[in-house]
Amino acid sequence: MTSPVLTMKDVSIDFPTPAGIVNAVKSLSLTINPGVKVGFIGESGSGKTTTALAIMRMLAAPGRVSSGEILLGQDKTNVLTLSEEEMRRARLRRVSYIPQGAMNSLNPVMRVENQMWDAIVAHEGKTDLATLRSRSDAALESVGLPARVGRLHPHELSGGMKQRVCIALGVILTPELIIADEPTSALDVVTQRQVMETLTEVQTRIGCGLILIGHDMGLMAQSVDELAVLKDGVLVEHGTTRQIIENPQHPYTKDLISSVPLVGGETFLSPAVAAPASQKTGPEPLLEFRNVTKRYGNVTALQPMSFTLEGDVPQIISIVGQSGSGKSTMGSLMLGFNEPSDGQVLFEGKDISRLSTSEALGFRKNVQAVFQDPYACFNPFYRVEHALKFPFKRFGLSQSDAHTQTAMEEACQAVGLDPDLILRRYPHQLSGGQRQRLIVARALMLSPKLLIADEPVSMVDASLRASILKNIYDLKDKYGISILYITHDLATAYHVSDYVIVLYHGRVAEAGPPKEVIGNPQHPYTQLLIDSIPWPDMNRAWGTSNRFDAEAHLAKAEVQPTIYRGDVDGFNLSTQFA
Amino acid sequence: MTSTDQSPQTRADRATAKRMRRFDNPWLNPKLIWGASLLLFIIALGILGRFVWNLDLVFTGSTPLKLPPVGFENLRRQEGVWDYPLGTDGGGRDILALIIMGAPNSLFVGMLASLIGMSVGITLGFTAGFVGGRTDDTIRILSDVMITIPPLLILVVFQAAYGDVSLTMMALLIACFVWQSPTRLIRAQVLSMRTSGYVQMAQLSGASTPHIMFREMLPNLVPYLFGSFIANVTTSIVTAVGLEVLGLGPQRIPTLGRTIYEAINAGALIQNLWWWWGIPTLLLAVMFIGLLLINLGLDEISNPRLRKLS
Repeated sequence: MTSPVLTMKDVSIDFPTPAGIVNAVKSLSLTINPGVKVGFIGESGSGKTTTALAIMRMLAAPGRVSSGEILLGQDKTNVLTLSEEEMRRARLRRVSYIPQGAMNSLNPVMRVENQMWDAIVAHEGKTDLATLRSRSDAALESVGLPARVGRLHPHELSGGMKQRVCIALGVILTPELIIADEPTSALDVVTQRQVMETLTEVQTRIGCGLILIGHDMGLMAQSVDELAVLKDGVLVEHGTTRQIIENPQHPYTKDLISSVPLVGGETFLSPAVAAPASQKTGPEPLLEFRNVTKRYGNVTALQPMSFTLEGDVPQIISIVGQSGSGKSTMGSLMLGFNEPSDGQVLFEGKDISRLSTSEALGFRKNVQAVFQDPYACFNPFYRVEHALKFPFKRFGLSQSDAHTQTAMEEACQAVGLDPDLILRRYPHQLSGGQRQRLIVARALMLSPKLLIADEPVSMVDASLRASILKNIYDLKDKYGISILYITHDLATAYHVSDYVIVLYHGRVAEAGPPKEVIGNPQHPYTQLLIDSIPWPDMNRAWGTSNRFDAEAHLAKAEVQPTIYRGDVDGFNLSTQFA
Repeated sequence: MTSTDQSPQTRADRATAKRMRRFDNPWLNPKLIWGASLLLFIIALGILGRFVWNLDLVFTGSTPLKLPPVGFENLRRQEGVWDYPLGTDGGGRDILALIIMGAPNSLFVGMLASLIGMSVGITLGFTAGFVGGRTDDTIRILSDVMITIPPLLILVVFQAAYGDVSLTMMALLIACFVWQSPTRLIRAQVLSMRTSGYVQMAQLSGASTPHIMFREMLPNLVPYLFGSFIANVTTSIVTAVGLEVLGLGPQRIPTLGRTIYEAINAGALIQNLWWWWGIPTLLLAVMFIGLLLINLGLDEISNPRLRKLS
């Protein structure tokens, strides 16, 4: 048994704030052995990043380690007693840190290789150019990038490539410990899988310890050896990944595991009650796309697409795809924020770009949305109730102030919020989950006929996603609202939707009922997406295959025409394959 | 406040805690308070001075010539007297009376010019950001071109041709050169806010364009507007004083700039009549320091990183 690369004994971290001292981390003890990957998991605010920063001695002022010791490496250096200069020398050479947003951590005005040379020169003194170049080229090749990437500037690289450059930078001095802080949270699943493969491969080769910080239990289960579960700064559970996934002890760990939706797994929704009558009035289909195309300059964001959503029975239609697939474009077309380049978008038989003022108000009332970013949806100037009260009055639903107040309170309760605690607050005083629920409550108050939910849970903590999706699902189930659910998450789409459309480069790749499309994908693109999702299943080979051939799949996906996997009543889709 | 139950141990801790508490009310910003006090001092001087001092002393020949402030001697060995505590100038005018009249005048020109400039800027900025297209191009190019024109040059030519002007006229002329930067600032903010979540939410709520502009966007612009307003007041005062020191601007109304102009013209520097030009200069310096402090204070208040701490 070799000695550990990192020993933390009783580490506590404090942040003095106006409201008293916050104990961000409370007496945490942990050892990490060489060659072992440890996952720190917990929701935002659980102290996982704070712990990692403390190891690097990079805590933001006024935070500080109030007690305990952090011993690094075989020689048991206590990093807390090092001088600033000794610490500088230890960073990167002994502990390296791979940040969350690689896109923002590279210097935009320097070539990639120059940034790597900087790192070498800062630690090893003056080195001749040929050595520098050969070392940076070797580091880039070790993360699967061609050496010519070194000659490029960061803006010429994709998100996944930048993240790999950061990994190359992190391992260029073969450190004893790598800390990777949510290295893939800004990447789509396909790239995420590639980056994680690279990271584990490099780590195994140099045999260092790895701390992987994240909140996605699926990703953790697929990539680390040991798991440390943090909650409110306390280490609640620690053990091998298999042990924790298969036999979690702490209730919080159980919650984390069960909150990951599985394709084909048990549903997290309550069994459907008898569907209520639809809100729909009149014989016209609720929403219709007639050969809708959207182009931005030379780029076609959406290829010609036609569908009708009858809306006689409330349904959830999922539109699935990666960033750039055109799914958000579809959402903004439906909301009338964007006009189609060709074709028409019709709501109850009327072209939404040609509505009179009063019709437009009616359209607005009937088509509502939940957006991705719950932080941006509230005007920071007003109390949150403004977002609920204003549209209610504007659409003439309010009979009196008292009526508005009751309606708001009822809506809050329906989404599981306490109106007395929430409504009078300012947006920055609420968590992301609370805000997103309020937006759902807002939609509920207005009782639209159609709701566009554009990535409603992608910016919310994993443990809250299921409950918010359930709130949205209830809108259909209890209030008869038809929903278009736009997402990149196939697992949730599998559970909530009646019909799934998979978009790739503005084209429909595969469409049909979710059991068919996601449960048994036929299109190469859908197959790739589903293969790339990490989920907490220890027996699945994810991220260990030898460089899985994403490119080959994508090349096949380009030429593969749309695959229709069956119809559901009330929704008809047709496309022209261009 | 719960920090009392965990009493901080060290002195540094207590200092930190005290500093943190200050964030509870961002308006209790020391820079802002100091800056505002300095400006209020000048305004108070202008208002109270009118009641306690004889303002007829601003007329030429109403006092003995070139008397020094109390406690000093001039080159003719004359002592300062309490009748004219800040001394008198070469034309027989009392310096105290001059600054009581002049300081508020300079501030008034700055405020008025900035107010007009801001109003124009807000209107144009919102129009450009909201309407877009041709209108945006026109406004943007116009303001970009105007920014490159040195205002003093144009104003010197204009005022030299026009002769005597009133304070209001002068403020109007200066306002022609201070609307560009608020226009650009607001246009940029409006463009980025237009795509923000809460504006989209307001659109979904069926809000009208004026509602979105004035009820959703404008309140969030207030910190920027304040900052921009104060910066513009400074620029306007500098421009106004610059013109006055050149002997342009109002001829019959006492202003700080004009007093300095007369001092220079009468050779006050050579005759060691330092109070003639020094006291108005000092007052202008106080005014600028006050404005600068207010601007810095507002900057800290509107800085979102500091706001998050509260």
